[in-house]
Amino acid sequence: MPMADNHSPEYYKGPFKRIIWIVGAILIAGTIASFTVDYIYAEELTFKQALYFGLGIACIKATAVILYFMHLLWDIKFKTISLTLASTVLFFIGMMWLTVGSEVDSVKPGQDDTTWLHGAQKDIKFKGDKSPADPTQTQ
Amino acid sequence: MEIPYNSTARPDTGLYNGKVGIWLFLASEIMLFGAVFSGYVLLRVGADPGIWSMGLMNKWVGAFNTLILIASSATIVLAWVSLKLKDWAGYRKWKIATVIFASLFLIVKWSYEWPAKFTHYDITFKSDEKAVEVFSDPDFLGKDYEAKLKEVWHKRFDRDEKDWDKVDLKDKPLDGHIVGYYTKNDDGTEEHHPVGEAFGLSFWSHALAWRYDERNEGRVTGAKRDTFLKRGIVAIDFEPAHGTWPAPRHAHAGAIRYAELKGGSKHDGDDHSAHHHSLRIEKSQISRLSSYEPAHSTFFATYYTLTGLHALHVFGGILVMLYHLLPVSRRVYEADPERFTNRIEITGLFWHFVDLVWIFLFPILYLL
Repeated sequence: MPMADNHSPEYYKGPFKRIIWIVGAILIAGTIASFTVDYIYAEELTFKQALYFGLGIACIKATAVILYFMHLLWDIKFKTISLTLASTVLFFIGMMWLTVGSEVDSVKPGQDDTTWLHGAQKDIKFKGDKSPADPTQTQ
Repeated sequence: MEIPYNSTARPDTGLYNGKVGIWLFLASEIMLFGAVFSGYVLLRVGADPGIWSMGLMNKWVGAFNTLILIASSATIVLAWVSLKLKDWAGYRKWKIATVIFASLFLIVKWSYEWPAKFTHYDITFKSDEKAVEVFSDPDFLGKDYEAKLKEVWHKRFDRDEKDWDKVDLKDKPLDGHIVGYYTKNDDGTEEHHPVGEAFGLSFWSHALAWRYDERNEGRVTGAKRDTFLKRGIVAIDFEPAHGTWPAPRHAHAGAIRYAELKGGSKHDGDDHSAHHHSLRIEKSQISRLSSYEPAHSTFFATYYTLTGLHALHVFGGILVMLYHLLPVSRRVYEADPERFTNRIEITGLFWHFVDLVWIFLFPILYLL
């Protein structure tokens, strides 16, 4: 059974302090990068590009915090922590999927509501015809 | 009574009990924030055009607060490392630095960022014609108002420039600050009331969270919370927000230039040196006036929920960290250094989680 946190004082004095400064620098650089890119290229970037870039940088920063500041790089070997985290992450992904997944089929603002049109009705109405659906016309 | 495994690891888990406890707590926190984040996604994806007002957020403030939290995350690790090296003075130094950074974060949030929003207003209009009257005022946007309005609209609501035609002109908001208002006396004459800065601070105004909604006219219950009806306001002097709207071409002949006389001011938004002259906007032109309070829109309701919940965590963290600087904590350290060091470690884990949440809040609220 591994035991928690058995680094030597020399490790804390030297390498670990260096790790803290390096991770701090990564976090600051990430913040400046996401701010600068958004500030300078706000008009050129599409929402999707900004989303991928902004959240990509956030994920890198979050990984650095979790692995080094939260010691998960060393503590992941403890099943109490890793299993707790794994089940939480699964729960989180499931919850986000439920939300995002439920949005896939929902009627967006400005779209036609075809919820009550089924099968052939839906096909006939929209085959080469982009006009708004009217259920009374398809009877 | 001795509580076991406070400073030594439990044989079956390999961890001291506090560490197991904090990870379970953080798991529940992930679920809490996960629910709020998924609510954000749902509301944003389903929002009507002209609701998600991300373009008005002050990115400088957001970035500044992010850097402060990052610094506090680093200093709290250094505080813990100091204890590992049996250096109480070093611990105190880094812990105090963490409390200062955390407090600075809350000061920026609660005394600048939020109040600046409660004094920043959106006006929508009763009809397209009334909106044209205001936007095309020769001292505001003039004849080519549509091009300028479009530019502001795209920056604020519509990055991909798809929704301009989906929202009526009357519902495209004019944002700015109330610098004065008019009431009508019994003899039919008008009285002007200047509205200035509060506490001598440019981002605080005496017009704090005022409201008007034309649907409140004639209502008894609605009128109580409606500033226009309560004060008998018939018109306002409205200064379009700096940095959002282009500077006027020449001075307004009739309006009171209170904001200009006060030397102009910087507000919640990008800093621009151009001063605006206030526009007189009649109550009869306005459909709704609202500050950026939670009731303004789904966007601001979500913004305050997310940042408020996060700020409460920061506040709770500060209280715990202050406790760890009290003499009673010193006594705990002297009695059992390992136990106290473990306490600081689990405080640190909580604090890093607070930092993690902000790492995601910054892009989704300020940049996207």
